[in-house]
Amino acid sequence: MLLPRFEYRHATSLVQAATLLAENPEARPLAGGTDLLVDMRERRQQPRLLVDISELPELSGIALEDGAVRIGGGVTVGELLASPLVAERLPGLHHAAHDFADFLTRNKATLGGNLANASPGADLVVPLLVLDARVTLGGPGGARTLTLDEFLVGPRRTALRAGELVQSIVAPVFGGQQFWYKLGLKRGGAIAVVSVATWLRLDAAGHCTAARVALGAVGPRPFRAMDAEATLMGGPLTPDAIARAADLAAAAAQPITDVRGGSDYRKAMVRALVARGLSQALNGH
Amino acid sequence: MRTIEFTLNGERARVSVEPHETLLGVLRQKLAATEVKSGCERGDCGACAVVLNGKAINSCLALAVQAAGRSVVTVRGLGGADHPHPLQTAFIELGAAQCGICIPGMLVSLYAFLEAQPRATRQEVREAIGGNLCRCTGYHKIVDAAEAAARHLVSLEPRS
Amino acid sequence: MSKPGGHPPRFRIVGERAPRPDARDKVHGLLRYADDFALVGMLHAKVVRATRPSARLVKVDTRRAEAVPGVRCVMTAHDVPNNVLFSDVPGQTTAVGPLRARTQVLADDVVRYLGEAVALVAADTEEAAEAAVRLVAIEYEDLPGVFDPEAALSPDAPQIEPTGNVISRWKIRKGDVETGFREADVVVEETYRTPLVDHAFIEPEAGVGWLDENGVITLRVATQVIEHFRDVANVLGLPHSKVRIIAPYIGGGFGGKEDVTVEVFLGLLVWKTTRPVRLCYSREESILSPTKRHPFIMKYKHGAKRDGTLAALEVELISDAGGYAYLSPLTLLYGIVHAAGPYRIPHVKIDGVSVLTNNPPTSAFRGFGSAQPAFAYESQMDALARALGMDPLAFRERNFLHKGERLASGQELETAVLLAETTRRAWSALGPKRQPSGPGKRIGRGLASALTAYGRIVWLHDWSSAWVELQMDGTVLIRTGVPDIGGGQAASLVQITSELLGVAQEEIAVHIGDSALTPLAGTTTATRQLYMSGSAVHKAASELRATLVAQAAELLNVAPELVELADGIASVSGPAGKQVSFKELAAACARSHRPRSSFAIYQAPAGQVMDFETGQGKVFPDFTFGAQAVEVEVDEDTGEVEVLRLAACYDVGQAINRNSVEGQIEGGAAMGIGYALLEEDKVAAGITVTPNLMTYLIPTALDVPDVTTVILESGEGMGPWGARGIGEPAMVPTAPAIANAVFDAVGVRMTRLPITPERLWRAMHAAKVD
Repeated sequence: MLLPRFEYRHATSLVQAATLLAENPEARPLAGGTDLLVDMRERRQQPRLLVDISELPELSGIALEDGAVRIGGGVTVGELLASPLVAERLPGLHHAAHDFADFLTRNKATLGGNLANASPGADLVVPLLVLDARVTLGGPGGARTLTLDEFLVGPRRTALRAGELVQSIVAPVFGGQQFWYKLGLKRGGAIAVVSVATWLRLDAAGHCTAARVALGAVGPRPFRAMDAEATLMGGPLTPDAIARAADLAAAAAQPITDVRGGSDYRKAMVRALVARGLSQALNGH
Repeated sequence: MRTIEFTLNGERARVSVEPHETLLGVLRQKLAATEVKSGCERGDCGACAVVLNGKAINSCLALAVQAAGRSVVTVRGLGGADHPHPLQTAFIELGAAQCGICIPGMLVSLYAFLEAQPRATRQEVREAIGGNLCRCTGYHKIVDAAEAAARHLVSLEPRS
Repeated sequence: MSKPGGHPPRFRIVGERAPRPDARDKVHGLLRYADDFALVGMLHAKVVRATRPSARLVKVDTRRAEAVPGVRCVMTAHDVPNNVLFSDVPGQTTAVGPLRARTQVLADDVVRYLGEAVALVAADTEEAAEAAVRLVAIEYEDLPGVFDPEAALSPDAPQIEPTGNVISRWKIRKGDVETGFREADVVVEETYRTPLVDHAFIEPEAGVGWLDENGVITLRVATQVIEHFRDVANVLGLPHSKVRIIAPYIGGGFGGKEDVTVEVFLGLLVWKTTRPVRLCYSREESILSPTKRHPFIMKYKHGAKRDGTLAALEVELISDAGGYAYLSPLTLLYGIVHAAGPYRIPHVKIDGVSVLTNNPPTSAFRGFGSAQPAFAYESQMDALARALGMDPLAFRERNFLHKGERLASGQELETAVLLAETTRRAWSALGPKRQPSGPGKRIGRGLASALTAYGRIVWLHDWSSAWVELQMDGTVLIRTGVPDIGGGQAASLVQITSELLGVAQEEIAVHIGDSALTPLAGTTTATRQLYMSGSAVHKAASELRATLVAQAAELLNVAPELVELADGIASVSGPAGKQVSFKELAAACARSHRPRSSFAIYQAPAGQVMDFETGQGKVFPDFTFGAQAVEVEVDEDTGEVEVLRLAACYDVGQAINRNSVEGQIEGGAAMGIGYALLEEDKVAAGITVTPNLMTYLIPTALDVPDVTTVILESGEGMGPWGARGIGEPAMVPTAPAIANAVFDAVGVRMTRLPITPERLWRAMHAAKVD
């Protein structure tokens, strides 16, 4: 099937791209195109204008700034995976990039695209949620920064306003124990049935001084299981505590039944995988 | 309609395209580059893989206009009958091709991957072709051939 | 291979890892497949397909479609001269009695499955054709549909054919199962289910058709059967000579390009427009509408004695034929003959029924009805072994048939039966058992042994033909109508010829797959080509060899027995050094009026039609015996199954090309892994919900392990030098081996494929609750 007809503009600056997008409500930004062009081919989206943002300098780069890793929205998943900085400082994100789709898709798909698409199972969003990542949106009037939570409004809905693009993500470097698991139906390039990211910091006595649990593909958007996190905070990380947290995480999940899996299975997988992540932290400490 | 120019396997290509035409469609139908295969048109199978500006990508998900001023390499750009790429030689010798329809895309992915990382493990080779579906071979001889080619490429590296 | 003691090798090139002649063009991107072909003035065609699974076509309005600029032609059922395709046995000229099956070319009045073709469009551009498709307005009246084969058996179900939904019944009777079960000490009874599966070849159905300078409708299409030219001619009401089918190298077939797909649509449009026409299915179209693998429901009841011998077997097979019969009756016949597996069972009762539903139509797919029963009987064998407290390998060996014994259908196993050897070798090739990779993981091992028929059913009087010629420049030419679907069909013929004539492969050209210009060789199906065309080429090349040897003997003035052919030279053995090149031989033949070519027809030994009342008789020419063993790791928390190792051992009779044999086994095992763990074409109320390769999952390079292949060569196959077929047998044992390994790992018997993580998790969870 052919793509529907549209006009195309290649943007050379963020301001130019944002202006074009703001002035044309039926325009869409084209980054990697791995989601957008498929949607267009299958007529789920038919924008009249595509603004090519794949070469905007303002969206590029991965750098360590003030103890945090700043990643441009135009950075491809392949570049994420190849980055020693991400591998060392953000191992959960590195792991998610490794499991993301396949080699060919990773060379095109972008971090900003994955965020802006806001799929319920967005692979890169889940590990970023446990890291208190912040999203900077660049628009015609300038930039503004939100938490990832504020950015994700609902299924395939974000806080992006007309003309705004995901300019960069900043993830503080926390150390601690980061865990990521994507349960898919096959090993090469699967869509998530359930994805789980956890992050813990334990003190010398084995007590949790910080705990984050994020879930993907089990709700309208990726989210943190706050009750699970709260039950871990301050206490010793024991098998009982882990089981309690896993139960609370499963209770917070609201999965649907679809072609990839049943809702009760997904809930059970949340419990199992959260427990696994937390147990790995316990053993690794 | 606009006219774009790019290099295709090292040669200058010049073609009129519309924005909605994919790189895959233009390569096959306007530039007679039928070595680039179409298997799904939505990035699921890897049969259409080409190297665009140094990166192996699915050409069904690239617009032709995005190739303007860039370099596109297909399987025909890896080498030729007179000077085949070590991957091509290994694929022939080790019997890696059966029906062959996945092979152009497979070779493009491996070529791009080994250019960057010739010292890959067998598992990493499998990951490099994780987006190239094959229904005939079970991937076994393809991975064998990729490893053989990688060893050859490493042996060709200048001693530093 | 050389024997110890310094004997010369038996073969020059047979059995070697000879690079295939077609490999070069494939790796350089020079080979042109069906869609890599364009002609000036070529139109682009699209098929308009039904969006309901069971409906009456109240109105098909094409006026707006015809008005789209650039649209040249819109055709519906009333434009088709003879709107029927027969699909009993493709490519054969022998009537097959009660197995006639028919489909509509374009739906007229009623559609029986979602995706059935209703209209054809041809336009100057693909864009215009797509626009026209959207503008064909179809008014449907939904009819009650039936989507479950068991429900379809009921007389209350909507009747898809006026004569009822049952299109085929077969049975086998041997001994008396009541007696057998009375004598049994343990009985294992279970129902097994296998899913609807897609061929998922990477090349979708495609082709280009045109009218040649002689008014012949020429169709260059991805097909396993060039004999479909007859079907197209019949639909058009034309003489057979007015349709020609050319099969280029095909990007995968597996049985999915065996029935007519694009051929008849291209024929119609070329006939109507007189323009060249191109048609290429989208992936969604390929998954949606052409035929698939039959889902089988298999009810098995085995009885065995304490001494480990099988006492009785009762089987009921139900196959879902979908909206049209296609090859369902034959597939079911394969099913019942293979249903007992390679085992000695004194009392057997097998019943099979194939039933129409409004699901996607099902037909030929690698294994052709032998893969589904293997999942059942090999799972049963493991269950029986455990019930008896016996080792699964030892239990099988106790019951394996031997050469000279008979299947439950009465057919004697006339060639070497290496069941025990292949099973033992596959099992031991797994090597030392691995340790689990982490907590909550379990390792399990399983094996499965199978027999799979190769060669066509014996009462179909199969034949093949080939022409081998010495050219005036000393090179050799082969012409034969074999479609090459990737298994090295053409390459084997070059290798056989090279062996017999002593000419290097590089000096041999092969022309294949042209119904007008190459002698017909029959279909590339049923794992028959190496046997049949290999034999035809062997015969032709042998006859040519004899001619050349006689000619050389004259030229060299020696007795023919002293002439050797090697390296394109005819020489006399010994120090005399007299020789003559093939080029000189060709000239000499021309002078002495000796034919430089040989045409041979190979006719398979034919047999009588089996007794359909008792299900007794010889059905297949021969079988390939083999086994696969797997080691898996199961994640107890998630139900994920990873195949860590796979070992396969087959008796291939005589390997012609060692790389090709291994490649078929490695590829078959991968397809088997997909069948076991990943693949299901999910259909809900007749509507496919897995329409693309993102939702219909086939194995990637990360889903399959390295495969260890052990090849045994008994030399007792029906093909050249005793070769057997391997294409279909390669994927039959994998799924049951995996199911058995899963049981070994976590103690749960999975009776339904695919074994997805969720299904396994549910089964483990239920097991724990109990």
